[in-house]
Amino acid sequence: MHISLEQVQRFCEFLYRRTGMSFAESKRYFIDRRLEDRITATGSSSFQEYFSLLRTDADQEIEHLINSFTVNETYFYREEHQLRCMTTSLLDAIVRQKKPGATLRIWSVPCSTGEEPYSIALWLMENWQQVDSYNIEIVGSDIDTRALKAAAEGVYGDRALMRLSRDIIGRYFKPVTGGNYQIDEGLRNSIEFTRVNLIDTKDMTQYRDFDLIFCRNVLIYFDDASRRLAAENLYDCLRPGGYICLGHSESMSRISPLFRVSRFPDAIVYQRPEADHG
Amino acid sequence: MPLIRGKKGGASGETSSSQQGALDSPDADSRWTAARALAGQADAVPALAVALAREPIPRVREAMMTALIRIGNTASVEVILPYLRSQDASVRAAAIEALQALPDAIAPFMTPLLSDGDSDVRLLATELARNMKASEATRLLCELIDHEHHPNVCAAAIDVLTEVGTPDALPTLERCAARFAATPFLPFAVSVAMSRISGEES
Repeated sequence: MHISLEQVQRFCEFLYRRTGMSFAESKRYFIDRRLEDRITATGSSSFQEYFSLLRTDADQEIEHLINSFTVNETYFYREEHQLRCMTTSLLDAIVRQKKPGATLRIWSVPCSTGEEPYSIALWLMENWQQVDSYNIEIVGSDIDTRALKAAAEGVYGDRALMRLSRDIIGRYFKPVTGGNYQIDEGLRNSIEFTRVNLIDTKDMTQYRDFDLIFCRNVLIYFDDASRRLAAENLYDCLRPGGYICLGHSESMSRISPLFRVSRFPDAIVYQRPEADHG
Repeated sequence: MPLIRGKKGGASGETSSSQQGALDSPDADSRWTAARALAGQADAVPALAVALAREPIPRVREAMMTALIRIGNTASVEVILPYLRSQDASVRAAAIEALQALPDAIAPFMTPLLSDGDSDVRLLATELARNMKASEATRLLCELIDHEHHPNVCAAAIDVLTEVGTPDALPTLERCAARFAATPFLPFAVSVAMSRISGEES
């Protein structure tokens, strides 16, 4: 099926407006391949037919499309610049308001099979000198209970560990069957895994007083109304002055005016203001 | 690192009427909480309308708009529509965002909005068509363009058609380019829209 340049441009503008994902002209082959796959998968007879179906989000096609354009696998130390930002900028700003020994709460949502919350814990132990000065609590939550079960078991293959040094793997993991590795029991017991639905306000009332939230690559799947609701729910989960890290293609300012953009050397993150300004 | 547990608080068991009363609270957090609790409760539309009109805090206004979106009926659209005429750009933007989230509920209001006497309202209303079905958006925007004298309103409608328009828009776009031949950016915008809609290689 031939897809013209004009059709690709039309598609890319929609994709950018809807998800924040942007693809340059040089990615034409990448775009065409995935677009053709989705046209075929949906039984559409033309680009126009597929584009109409996409715009109305029939059969959750936007979710299928995003999945085809994103790398679905997750791994340790993914988007490392945000972890670096956490220890070089964010936590220093947060603990300025706290006394030594105070509690510092970090939430990874959605946490999928656990790579992100474990990465946060590992990164803190390896890179933050004040790690023993505060009572750090990490929660990992997801809507998928199968993913949560896997997270609690903490068993990973080589691909998930590809960004970790042999030294870190040696110190925090032990080999198990099938060539896999299981993360240290102490770390597994230090993180609580819970089920949550980001757009269920009642569900979200169980989660409060977080200083830092990692909420990456999920809001792009939501429609406008759900994104607003999720943003308000996340606002309530943060302490005033707390920060939220989104995925690289997401922008909270596009989603909600509730948060303030905070630019740090390693990352752009979003902050719940300390106080209202009318 | 210690094991932690989420607090088991659960949602407030307060009734809709007590939450509606809390919309009058002098405390912004209480008004925010009340607005959030009233999301989706159709009987709260009149109280939300009154509260929204006097709310000075942007994030609380945002929560009130979200509550109206979650209700999503004709009454909630009627509450939001007047904010398209606000002198405050952030309020106009909030109203547009809220109404865009309600493409079905806004549909009956589109024809009057697109023929409003205020060109700023017509211009903003073109953006509401972006989330509507392509055939309906095309019909509405073509009707507007064929009668519109303000070039900026036409340009806004053409921009939306560039994304959502169907081939039915092509004759209207051709007429628009001819009518505004002396306004160079419009024939250019029309040429971009027509090539995108017809899927021609440039």
